[in-house]
Amino acid sequence: MAEKRTGLVPYEYVCTRLRVRKSKLLAREDYLRMLNMSIPEITRFIEETQYKKEIDELGTSFSGIDLLEIALSWNLAKEYQNIQKIAPGDLKRFTQSYLRRWDIQNVLTILRGKAQKIKSGKIKEILIPAGELDRVLLDRLLKEESPERVVEALKGYTMYPVLSKWLESAIAEGSFAHMENALYRQFYSDLIEEAMSGFKGGRNYLDYIMLEIDMINIRNMFRLRADRIQQDAREMAIPGGTFGVDEFQRLVNREDHNEFIDAVKSRIKLRPLLDMLETLRQEKSLRETEIELIKFQIKEMESMSKRNPFSIHPILTYLEKKKYEIINLRALARGKESNLPTERIRGFLVI
Amino acid sequence: MADMTLEMVQASQAGMKALGAAIAVGATGIATGIAEMSIGSAAVGATAENKDIFGLALLFVVIPETIVIFGLVVALLLLF
Repeated sequence: MAEKRTGLVPYEYVCTRLRVRKSKLLAREDYLRMLNMSIPEITRFIEETQYKKEIDELGTSFSGIDLLEIALSWNLAKEYQNIQKIAPGDLKRFTQSYLRRWDIQNVLTILRGKAQKIKSGKIKEILIPAGELDRVLLDRLLKEESPERVVEALKGYTMYPVLSKWLESAIAEGSFAHMENALYRQFYSDLIEEAMSGFKGGRNYLDYIMLEIDMINIRNMFRLRADRIQQDAREMAIPGGTFGVDEFQRLVNREDHNEFIDAVKSRIKLRPLLDMLETLRQEKSLRETEIELIKFQIKEMESMSKRNPFSIHPILTYLEKKKYEIINLRALARGKESNLPTERIRGFLVI
Repeated sequence: MADMTLEMVQASQAGMKALGAAIAVGATGIATGIAEMSIGSAAVGATAENKDIFGLALLFVVIPETIVIFGLVVALLLLF
């Protein structure tokens, strides 16, 4: 193998760095304080934390919610790029493959924007160049005039075959949902393949991917059941985890909520998840259920990273926690912008 | 062995003591190095993110030095 073996030590270096960064993320109390602030106050508050550089840089060109949103996106992209730089050996490979999800999100954003003839500048504001496709390449894609040209420009990238296969039907239907499902299915199957390809630490990586696939499938099942859509749910399922594609469809179609919970529980081995599913037995709103599931996933990731302190787990835990910090701050800012009551905004926060 | 003189026996004992002292210092030195390798890299990582903990991190890094000090004490006891 051409890969340079870097030994144990750099793992300790990078895992400790990310552990320190994780400790600097905003605490629950900070969010509770921010709930009572206005947007300029929130901006000032986060300027005193890790977002100072971005807010100072963008402060002259933007203001209000735009400043906050763009600063958050820039900070997330910078942070993820930096982690890819400092991650050693096999951890770099795993981190890069995991961050490819942002490529999917960016490409879909560009395709949707182009299909709806939105200006490049507007699309650019919401891109987060955190994956393989960097700012330069994304700028090149933004300059292309039509979705077809965007897909052509991605020839040679892993997502190209899926994009070209689904593009025609997506444009005809005016929806990129099927393409999105196919891209995520391919993404997770690539991740599993990579984790099982025999690189050091692959086993830990696989454990995490399995957890994520299960959590996404469970979340999707709750969503589909809440929507009561009688369509084929199979393409929403991500294979590779505990639930097979047909089983996913059967579970979605179960009429009774208690039966559904029992059926899901019968397939799960993770004890904390079983306890958590029990709490979902009383019917809650979809939003509450989703937040509970995300909170559980983060908690489980934290415990994985404690069990394997020098592995890919602390890195992935930080990546996810950082992502939810950005999502929380955005929800907070958007909520304040729309004058939503504090309690309502609080319900959207993963804290 | 029977025809060794007293001087030869004494010299041999001194040599064995010196060898013992060398092993005591050498082996504990290596052990300290191994222990400090992990702690040191973690400490550098933590300090890179938060400069305020440099003093505390340095303290953690030098804790395994006690191993080599024990070795040194044993070596000194052997030699003197």
